[in-house]
Amino acid sequence: MKFWPVILTRHRILLLLLVLVFAWSLFSVNWSGSIIHTGGRSSFLKLWLSLFPPDLSPGFLLIASKATWTTFTFAVMGIVLAITLGLPMGVIASGILFERSSVNRVPIIIVFRGLLAGMRAVHELVWAVVLVVAIGLSPVAGIIALGIPYAGILGRIYAELLQSTPRAPIDALSQTGASQLKILFYGYIPAVLPDMLSYTFYRFECSIRAAAILSFIGIQGLGYQIQLSLHDLLFDQVWTLLLFLILLIVLVDLWSTRIRRSLLA
Amino acid sequence: MIIDENKSLIVARNVTKYYGPFKALDSVTFTAEPGELVAVAGPSGSGKTSLLHSLAGIIHPDYGEVLVDGNDLAEFQSRKERCSLVGIIHQQYDLVPQLPVIHNVLAGHLGRWGLFTSLLSLVWARDRRQAYDILLQLGIADKIDDKTSKLSGGEQQRVAIARMMIQSPQLVLADEPVASLDPSRAEEGLRLITDLITDSNKTLVITLHSPHLIREYCSRVIGLREGKLIFDLPTSEVYDHHFDQLYDIGH
Amino acid sequence: MSKFALIVIATNNTLRHMSFTKGSLFLFGIFIIVSWGFIFLPGDSGFVELFRLETWTNIKIFILRLTGTESDLTPAFFQVDRWIATSKLAYQTLAMSILAMAIAGIGAFLTMVWAARNVSNGDLGGVPSIFGNVMYYLIRANYVVSRAVPELVWAMIIVFFLSPGILPGALALGLHNLGIVGRLTAEVIENLDPASSVSLRSAGASNSQILMYGIMPQAMPHFITYLLYRWEVVIRTTVVVGFVSAGGLGREFILRLNWFHYTDVTLILIWYLLMVIGVDLLSSWLRKIVDAD
Repeated sequence: MKFWPVILTRHRILLLLLVLVFAWSLFSVNWSGSIIHTGGRSSFLKLWLSLFPPDLSPGFLLIASKATWTTFTFAVMGIVLAITLGLPMGVIASGILFERSSVNRVPIIIVFRGLLAGMRAVHELVWAVVLVVAIGLSPVAGIIALGIPYAGILGRIYAELLQSTPRAPIDALSQTGASQLKILFYGYIPAVLPDMLSYTFYRFECSIRAAAILSFIGIQGLGYQIQLSLHDLLFDQVWTLLLFLILLIVLVDLWSTRIRRSLLA
Repeated sequence: MIIDENKSLIVARNVTKYYGPFKALDSVTFTAEPGELVAVAGPSGSGKTSLLHSLAGIIHPDYGEVLVDGNDLAEFQSRKERCSLVGIIHQQYDLVPQLPVIHNVLAGHLGRWGLFTSLLSLVWARDRRQAYDILLQLGIADKIDDKTSKLSGGEQQRVAIARMMIQSPQLVLADEPVASLDPSRAEEGLRLITDLITDSNKTLVITLHSPHLIREYCSRVIGLREGKLIFDLPTSEVYDHHFDQLYDIGH
Repeated sequence: MSKFALIVIATNNTLRHMSFTKGSLFLFGIFIIVSWGFIFLPGDSGFVELFRLETWTNIKIFILRLTGTESDLTPAFFQVDRWIATSKLAYQTLAMSILAMAIAGIGAFLTMVWAARNVSNGDLGGVPSIFGNVMYYLIRANYVVSRAVPELVWAMIIVFFLSPGILPGALALGLHNLGIVGRLTAEVIENLDPASSVSLRSAGASNSQILMYGIMPQAMPHFITYLLYRWEVVIRTTVVVGFVSAGGLGREFILRLNWFHYTDVTLILIWYLLMVIGVDLLSSWLRKIVDAD
């Protein structure tokens, strides 16, 4: 009867590895007495006390609402840019336009997938910092910083969706002599549209969070206001802004989930 | 033959069960003695599964009562006592796909084991020897550490049987356990089950839709149709027209 | 027929029966127009700057500086000692991401069971309890809050009472992803086939035993896959969180940028890309192992 090989199943080894790695990461933390700030404890307490109640003065509510709206519009424009860039790139990266032509599509696919991966790899904040240095602090910098990585994310998913469409309707269309571009519109897009819309709306929800973060670097929005209030130690204002942010995200999440449910039904 | 209800293993009296407006069981009454191999026959929707579930204590009748070894299942006590009394195998075996075979088999002990023991056993299997011996009897000992989902249908059935043997209840219920197997595997499976039952002096109530299998392996047949008990006879006295009655052929 | 008309027709055909979606798209279209107006009409959006020669010259200079061709000094990414110095930071960043995943993993593992509706309301054969239902709403609410708040905001808040370093960042990332992984796995649990749990119950198992033998084995593969997948996302954010929590590569990035040490910035970007690619590969490989079994 086997004994040793049984004890060392793949899963057990993996589990052991995970535990070891976790332990290692704990060692990297500097667990000295100063781990908690001087005054950290009182700040912590103050933070929680400020939740009841948060700053609900009309003046501040106005500021919070404006910031929320700003963040929302940034997210919308950012995702629009992402779709505008990501869709064509995704279509090209899927290679379906070149299926019947004599052009060798492999290098094209590699190049475009690589481009998308590169756009994706860099976090939107890093893009933002780079863009601000290059073109200065402006709304457009924030929108582009959001649009580029999200174009990479969307483009990759669009390419994968397009590549995995069922062949039969496509082949039937090509029998009618339609050009590849027409087949794209008549055959591919209707097939992948539900999944594409579903994923795009999911990413829209993520883009709101990203837009909130981007506003930290000085572009107006919720993140910017949170930073201001934190600096002044006005924790009740911070809570108000957080509540607005959570509310916005929950609303968009509900909307997005509802859409996805009706699409994939 | 006088049936002493105090000694009968199963006593079912006027068992009636509704699912909403639908009457699944209609005043079903029968008894079963220890050691019997009872087949329940009937078309789908006739109430076979509902009957088995009320014998298992999974559902409780709206009217009437079910007594297993003198105990009314509707008012049951601890799961420990109930699971040593009744056990059930379903058509789909319902094993946990990701667990290795040995843990699915040893799950038969869960009624007896405490929390800590159950957890510990997942890491270091208790009673490994016992599980191995049973699987050896069933011919699949070499699969003991394989992931259950990797086994074929016939092999999974034997894992379910092994679990039942570990649980070792007095009354074994089986709901169409061989329906998803091809004929030769089905016979093999039934032979295994019935041999194990008779060897250990247990009682079996099994639903089957094949008259041939019923005649081969069971000592008694109960026929259900639309929730009503149509006949209750020893196998030797059951003829084709009895089955036809159930399946409404020719009417 | 113009191509535009083709697009409209194809889209319309698909969406004909999906009125909620259509309405949503229409609404979204309105949002687009309004947002466009809000951002670009006032004139200070920076849009015009994009097209000025000055801007593009700036960008060109910036890129030249990053690649080190603008000055005569040896770029940082060709100096071995700089590589060694920054490798420590990369190591810290990696540790931060792993600690974050551990926090997210343990937290989600402990709470995800109650977040599944079928466990809390007794569908899996257990007795529905008030405790269970309360826990369900409590934990789900927790998940929503932790998911909704971006990691950076968590980090900024945490930095107020924990000293800067890896821990605040790891905690922030961990809390955020806890909600994500917890919710995803809870949804998997909700969609499990109850058959094996019912079968275990008739073999005599108690609620906790059903959890151990029936639910966890089925949920774990998905749980680990979600954790590994989130790790890929987390490593990208870890660098950024380092800005705020002052740990790892992120802090160095900001410092070097402020000091205009452009080639050092490039060196950090290279490390960043290396780690992102490395974690992506590692995560895919581990996910294959988990799926294969």
